[in-house]
Amino acid sequence: MQSESRLSKIGYHLRREWQIYVMLLPTIIWFIVFLYKPMYGLQIAFKDYSIFRGVDGSPWIGFEHFEFLFSNDQFIRAFWNTIIISGLNLLFGFPAPIILALLFNEILHATYKKTAQTIVYLPHFISSVIIAGIVITAFSPSVGIVNTVLGWFGIDSIYFLTKPEWFRPIFVGTGIWQEAGFGSIVFLAAIAGVNPSLYESAVVDGANRWQMMWKITIPSILPTILIMLIIRIGNVMEVSFELIILLYQPATYSTADVVNTFVYRQGIQSGQYDFAAAAGLFNAVVAFVLVMIANTLSKRYSRTSLW
Amino acid sequence: MSGVKLSQLVKRYGDLEVVKAIDLEVQPHEFVVLVGPSGCGKSTTLRMIAGLEEISGGEVTIGDRVVNRVAPKDRDVAMVFQNYALYPHLNVADNIAFGLRIRKTPKDQVQKMVAEVAEILGLTPYLDRRPADLSGGQRQRVAMGRAIVRHPLVFLFDEPLSNLDAKLRSQMRAEIKRLHKRLDVTSIYVTHDQVEAMTLADRIVVMNDGAIEQVGTPMELFLNPVNTFVAGFIGSPPMNQIRAEISGSSNAPVAKIGDQLLPLPASADVADRMGADVTVGIRPEHAEVHSLGTSPLNVELELVETLGSEALLHTKLADTPFIIKTETEEHFSTLDQVSAFSVNPHQIKVFDIDTGRVLGQAGA
Repeated sequence: MQSESRLSKIGYHLRREWQIYVMLLPTIIWFIVFLYKPMYGLQIAFKDYSIFRGVDGSPWIGFEHFEFLFSNDQFIRAFWNTIIISGLNLLFGFPAPIILALLFNEILHATYKKTAQTIVYLPHFISSVIIAGIVITAFSPSVGIVNTVLGWFGIDSIYFLTKPEWFRPIFVGTGIWQEAGFGSIVFLAAIAGVNPSLYESAVVDGANRWQMMWKITIPSILPTILIMLIIRIGNVMEVSFELIILLYQPATYSTADVVNTFVYRQGIQSGQYDFAAAAGLFNAVVAFVLVMIANTLSKRYSRTSLW
Repeated sequence: MSGVKLSQLVKRYGDLEVVKAIDLEVQPHEFVVLVGPSGCGKSTTLRMIAGLEEISGGEVTIGDRVVNRVAPKDRDVAMVFQNYALYPHLNVADNIAFGLRIRKTPKDQVQKMVAEVAEILGLTPYLDRRPADLSGGQRQRVAMGRAIVRHPLVFLFDEPLSNLDAKLRSQMRAEIKRLHKRLDVTSIYVTHDQVEAMTLADRIVVMNDGAIEQVGTPMELFLNPVNTFVAGFIGSPPMNQIRAEISGSSNAPVAKIGDQLLPLPASADVADRMGADVTVGIRPEHAEVHSLGTSPLNVELELVETLGSEALLHTKLADTPFIIKTETEEHFSTLDQVSAFSVNPHQIKVFDIDTGRVLGQAGA
């Protein structure tokens, strides 16, 4: 009875607001074709897949790939690398756009503010390939600016990109350089939404700019910060794969190889699709659990959540 | 306790002068209401007193100190904003305590002061709630609590009640009045609502287009408006203003409205304008329809608006809309037959047609 009335309710909405649903259609189709249909292929993670037999024709083998995965040192290493790089990204890369937005908010000179914003937004629009090229050049032992500057202080050239211990700082730093500016837009928008009379009231109460930032701006944009954090945590396992491929080399695999690059090498380069699918599926499950936890915690403690 | 003095106060935005050299003296303990239409400069004036707007010219004095170059926090004023300006992430107690904490008031003292203010405003049961969980009236009380708790020299109110519904507004109006009686702090209150101005003010300042039109007690403004603007702004409904020609003799002047004659109070100013056009002002309350006096004027009744104990008769007098406010008791059944009214000549105002200034009134 109840389901019937719900169905008729949906039917009523569909008839009345069909234009809106038509506009929604392309997105739904996109999701079905590119995200849901491929999920059918996920079953190869549990099969001995061969391209000649196809997805349906390949025999089931249960968790064999996963057992192999967890006994594979390279995968374990890639898993921990992913966690560590993501952790660093979260630690340094997440606050960066917030700090940037707060700084922009304090700039009173309009032209200066706009110029500064444009400059920090730019790297976002540059292809990762070029970004990687710039990084490689900047850290080059012979012509790179970093080594040149180090040279002024009498420090010998360092082969940064071949040293495992330097890979993570360079990678995380590059990520901040590329995305912090663009990422600050959402926080700037949140700051712009703060009721100006809150600041005026605080001025009359005697607050200085620093106190206003801590006691008004940051608490006011906290819901935005939390939503962005949830999204970010959901993407923890999705380390910027292109940039890693572009910057790493066998010498730095020990610190640079992440699950996605591992999947890429196993799946695309070595043709072990089933094994790579198992690694990818594991990655997705971890990400799913993380985003669920983050959302639940945020909902409980701050009344802010994605759903 | 301190008064506030504005001397030749000017606010300019580029070439645009929004406050035009106004002078005003607010006595200690006084409740002064700045009233006027949107964009008349009343809020800007208030914000200059608070220090939220830079002063383009003139002086603001609080107590005996010129505060032009004094930071808002050091002026010892507290402001209540139209949209409450409550911190959504803080509960009621923390909102009230905000100003005290910023000033590093000792903790136990803060607690005591917040409790005291909450008691005065009836907020004690809500101290742990966030603003989002309060009603409009409660939020407005919290906003006032924030102002009261600091014991400032002057309270500034910037349209504090305009976000509330009509019933709540009249409740809060009474509450503000009571609060002022109790705390006795110099208060400057901005509103565009003349009812608020009439009920709250010791003195009302009517502003228009960046200048002060008239300053006076509510009854002074109601009975003796100095010009057509004040006459049209104070009172609800406002004073009827009809174009008329002065005729008769200088001892017994009359206004010729269409082909009807209305006796006017005699004065030299009116006599000077014999044969000229003037604006005649009659308060809706002063038009008598039940016991017609001398020289009643005929009107064409268009609509009766019943308000309960009173009714508004929308009529036309010589093709000009004319509103009559009358009591309904005993006369209700005959209201729709009204066709004429009379008015005591001494309650009629005569204004210059060009300048709008009142004629024949001492001090005008």
